[in-house]
Amino acid sequence: MSPLIEVEDITYLHDVQDAALQPALCGVSLQVEAGEMVAVVGSNGSGKTTLARHLNGLLLPTQGKVWVSGLDTTIPENRPQILSTVGMVFQFPEDQMVSTVVEEDVAFGPENLGLPREEIRQRVEAALREVGMWEARTRPPHLLSAGQMQRVALAGILALHPRCILFDEATAMLDPAGRRMVMEMMHRLHREGVTIIYITHYMEEAAQAERVIVLDQGKVALDGCPNEVFADEGRLRSLGLDMPPAVSAAGLLREVFPQLPEDLLTMDALLAALPAAEESLSQPQKPAPQFAVGEAMIEVNGLSHTYLLDTPFAHQALRNVDMYVSKGGAQGLIGGTGSGKSTLMQHLNCLFKPFTGQVRVGPFDFNQPEVSVYQVCQTVGLVFQNPEAQFFEQYAGDEIAYGPRLQGLDRPALRQRVRWAMEMVGLDFEEFKDRFVYTLSGGEKRKVALAAILALQPEVLLLDEPTAGLDPQSRLELIAHLQTLRKAGITLVVSSHHMDDLASLTDRLLVLHKGDVAMEGTLGEVFSGVEALLALDLAPPPAALIADALRKKGWPVPVNVINFAGLAKALANFSGGAR
Amino acid sequence: MSEFEFMRGMTFGQYLPTGSMIHRLDARARIVIFTAILGAVTISRSYTGLILSLVMACVGLALASIPLRYALQGLLPPLPFLVVLAVLQVFLNPGDGEVLFQFWVMKLTAHGLFTGAMLLLRFLSLVLGLTLTTFTLSSSELILGLHLLLRPLGRLGLPVQDVVFMVQATLRFIPFLMQSAERVVKAQASRGAPWGKGSGGPLRRARQAMPMILPLFMNSLRRAENLALAMDARGYGSHDERTSMYELHFRLLDWFALGVSFLLAAGIVAWGR
Repeated sequence: MSPLIEVEDITYLHDVQDAALQPALCGVSLQVEAGEMVAVVGSNGSGKTTLARHLNGLLLPTQGKVWVSGLDTTIPENRPQILSTVGMVFQFPEDQMVSTVVEEDVAFGPENLGLPREEIRQRVEAALREVGMWEARTRPPHLLSAGQMQRVALAGILALHPRCILFDEATAMLDPAGRRMVMEMMHRLHREGVTIIYITHYMEEAAQAERVIVLDQGKVALDGCPNEVFADEGRLRSLGLDMPPAVSAAGLLREVFPQLPEDLLTMDALLAALPAAEESLSQPQKPAPQFAVGEAMIEVNGLSHTYLLDTPFAHQALRNVDMYVSKGGAQGLIGGTGSGKSTLMQHLNCLFKPFTGQVRVGPFDFNQPEVSVYQVCQTVGLVFQNPEAQFFEQYAGDEIAYGPRLQGLDRPALRQRVRWAMEMVGLDFEEFKDRFVYTLSGGEKRKVALAAILALQPEVLLLDEPTAGLDPQSRLELIAHLQTLRKAGITLVVSSHHMDDLASLTDRLLVLHKGDVAMEGTLGEVFSGVEALLALDLAPPPAALIADALRKKGWPVPVNVINFAGLAKALANFSGGAR
Repeated sequence: MSEFEFMRGMTFGQYLPTGSMIHRLDARARIVIFTAILGAVTISRSYTGLILSLVMACVGLALASIPLRYALQGLLPPLPFLVVLAVLQVFLNPGDGEVLFQFWVMKLTAHGLFTGAMLLLRFLSLVLGLTLTTFTLSSSELILGLHLLLRPLGRLGLPVQDVVFMVQATLRFIPFLMQSAERVVKAQASRGAPWGKGSGGPLRRARQAMPMILPLFMNSLRRAENLALAMDARGYGSHDERTSMYELHFRLLDWFALGVSFLLAAGIVAWGR
């Protein structure tokens, strides 16, 4: 039998006229059999999305051929058949919503196929029930959470009865609960016989596939089962990728537990394989809770906030929140979509005035009516999520100079300030100041956005999802620069779905759940509460998960283990007891 | 409380699914009824007719189970303009007749007062009527109703399908555009952009607006491109004849409501003349 998808030596140029341009795909050949589950990984700009769009005929190869169940994608007559064979779920949930009502959105595809009304109704109901959104069928999509929207988008594809579904970074914009949900859905569809191909930046997600394809500069660099692909750490890093956390952790644990099997790719498999201690070892004492000390930089007391007050759409986003960040401290904010993190952030630079409660940052009392964001912005810098979406200048240097220019700096001082800000984020002034903003890579754009805020020389830096959408290498680089800023004495408040980021950047955490403070404390205190975090639909960092599992199996692991370095230290202490 | 919360105070253009009697009418019936009544209010020259329409708008809001206080909030933003317009109307269009009061060239006449009151009444009825329309007619019902009402025109070779879909995509964009604008303005204000602080000449102010408008424009383009891709991937335009999931049924109540509203529309236009 012929494969479901066959790609034969395809090359794709974004612009055929421009011969000097690097092709987005260059001589790619591969086959996908029916029923496979394939992950596609690679750094930003490696050609993942371009490849995916060839597989359902959204893009046509400049050279070479793509066949979908034997149909050539370049022949227009094959198009309806190909589109209903290979469906696609995109990265940005809200961009895919075609209609103003959920069920109508799902019906869009079948309606396009010209199916009879009864058939459409049945398909829409079956698809919405499959993704668990049947109850929300009459709601407008823009009032759903990102995870729910992504499920509706998937239902819209399922209603086409495809044999294969492509997920183009479908989890990148979701919180941990949303990501877990989409991954579970992929596994279930795969068990039901649907072919799944997904692009991801998260290696722990790629490790769950049957086959991993690594792209690098438009070529297939690696193609094999996860065990083979994740065997060579050096090669992966040279391709701008990272190891799945479970594989890194297994390497570490094998020094103490040599009996651990070789093929541990996912956290679930690793946690299940951990051996129990032979004799009950005495557990270390839980240390007394520590409180933030030192001179206050940020003080929030009893803060509440209601959106759309006095309308039938009113909803409370924050309820009686207290927060204390000392000068030079670093506070992490955790919580799912809609937990109130962004609302709290926007209270800290006075975009929102406190409605009930008090907010005080540095010398400013935000309850004073004359204090506004215009005075505060030189003390507190807020970097929004996906800040590059707000760029408006052509050149990177001008974009960074915008804030200080409004402060009325003269030319030499302005130049000096921009140079300083660019150096702080690791961008060379001479090389980057005259670069077009839109030609920068994702990681470089994020650095420009950060430099644009740093150029105001704030004492407090607020970061909303600073690493969202970055590939592993850009993420690590950005974190390293933020750590340098911390050492330079800047106070940080970081919100992130990526617990590893918070583990390496912050020292205290505040967990928000539907507007309430659910947990508060040091990193160790919060991350060791694994059950409480899981109950709030949050994902503790891998090292904390392993530490918790080891404790449950009788090993004496201290509660302050939050990263692999800490885990290694703890393991070294009881390596004698293992054998 | 924030000057940056754009969605607040926007009662106009919101859909409120209360499941009332009016909401349950056939979408086509509602489109025709609202068009007839609003059209009648626009062309009516009858004083009593306009009072009737104002009363009707309030009755309609009550029938649609919409809190009157919330609906009236929507009147507040345009009210100062309406009052100024009405006052101008009173003095600039005095007509002939007995002068009640005169100051310099300004004449206050019974006729002037009458036309000013008419203008105020007409606009209040229109705003309340439109508010009632958006509260009770969801955009998808509007699309479907329009689609079915206009379908006969399709047989004449007009691209009804595409036009209706364009309306739908536009309506989908409005909440997004508001959210996007709010985000852009907040991000720029955080960098010290003088939002809402009008100073300098028009050129200067236009330049100040660039950091707000350009990203909004770019984001909309990006989004339109993604939407087009998503529609493409789901086979839009790959088949000649699109079908629809919905089927509407005209019931007795719809015919009744239609009849009553035509009578009322006639009353608004002709009563007391």
